[in-house]
Amino acid sequence: MPYPPKLESIISLFGGLSDPEKRETLISYAEQSCFQEPKPNEKFDLEDVRKDQECTDTVAVYLRVDEEGNAHFRVTLGPQVQTLTRSMSSILCKGLDGITPREVLEVPADFVPKVVGAELVRVRSQTVYYLLTRMKGVAKVWLQQQQRSGDPVTGDSSPE
Amino acid sequence: MSIDSHYAHPEALVTTVWVSEHLKDENLCLIESNEDILLYDMGHLPGAIHIDWQRDLQNQTIRDYIQPVDFAALCSRSGITPETTCVFYGDKSNWWSCYALWVFRLFGHEHVKIMDGGRDKWIAEGRPLSREVTQRAYSDYPVPPTRNDAEIRAFYDDALLQSRTALPLIDVRSPDEFKGLVTHMPEYPQEGVLRGGHIPGAHSVPWKQAVNKDSTFKSEAELRKIYQEDLGLSPDEKIIAYCRIGERSSHTWFVLNYLLGFQNVRNYDGSWTEWGNRVGAPIEKSL
Repeated sequence: MPYPPKLESIISLFGGLSDPEKRETLISYAEQSCFQEPKPNEKFDLEDVRKDQECTDTVAVYLRVDEEGNAHFRVTLGPQVQTLTRSMSSILCKGLDGITPREVLEVPADFVPKVVGAELVRVRSQTVYYLLTRMKGVAKVWLQQQQRSGDPVTGDSSPE
Repeated sequence: MSIDSHYAHPEALVTTVWVSEHLKDENLCLIESNEDILLYDMGHLPGAIHIDWQRDLQNQTIRDYIQPVDFAALCSRSGITPETTCVFYGDKSNWWSCYALWVFRLFGHEHVKIMDGGRDKWIAEGRPLSREVTQRAYSDYPVPPTRNDAEIRAFYDDALLQSRTALPLIDVRSPDEFKGLVTHMPEYPQEGVLRGGHIPGAHSVPWKQAVNKDSTFKSEAELRKIYQEDLGLSPDEKIIAYCRIGERSSHTWFVLNYLLGFQNVRNYDGSWTEWGNRVGAPIEKSL
């Protein structure tokens, strides 16, 4: 499956960078992670706040699906979460913004080494994949809720 | 807080205050070593260099450390000479700084210290961080004659012999890892180990017992109670410490060696990711 357009443009951006430039850009994304947190009075369709065994701190994923069935994510990260995971939260919130929950489920995880670079993807950095898994989990729950409620809106804007 | 003068080698620890007063010492090199690989880039102690435990200290092909010639090259490009005092600090209560210090000792670098409390304490005290990548003048570090594996490093066969002869093995992992209830560190992803449990005869003394809430090391009296009075270790015994990949056990190695003055402590860096995957390795589980 092709990447969502916004994610594709981020991947392309990283593709043209040298390793030091990649590092700087990842740092910049990490610093922007606070902007991906919920805004005051913002309403969500689903909130998933938990601390899993495999993550060093609490990660909260918030999903809002607009009238057109497009997903918008917000993420908050505990202070112990690694820098690379912070970078990934910004990249994913921006890169997945506006696609449907069903499309979120289909986003392949193989973009991570393209963005991060093989040198930085290590065993103890595997939580960079964790965030995408959490977002997919929230999208899946939302879709299941829609099916149970008999709502014809499944979040899929593309014909099957 | 000052450094406890009762430690066997109080000179091996320095406070954040001491470091802040010695930032410009030319014969001193501050070395940050972290688990979070981008943390140095987010800001570090002014003048500190970064040593990446995986990229800089390990062989990139086989599971082993760099060779003496690589160590000399690392030190030379970092502006370190054999006379330089290296002050290590980092995240995770100084796990990786103790690990880096231990590797420096493998190559016989004499002047090494840990900044007590690590990076978190420095930041908690509101001390300055810098984003400037430190450039130190190139030095000419001589190639060490050898890597001192025999002195402070243990291998699988050493740990097996230690187990069979009922000599002290210290398992510094979390209690659930020791018992075999989990095969990963709490709060970490699975690092690829097939069996849970511990080396037969090993004692469970999680590394965390050696530190205070602010990541500083406990006092000499507190540490002696844990390792000598309660566990019954004696300073001249042959001791091997292990964890999963050798970083938490480097922390305990530092405590036993430098703070309590134990003379024959080795770090089994193969640790549980080797033992728990090894065909035929004996394993003990406990409740």
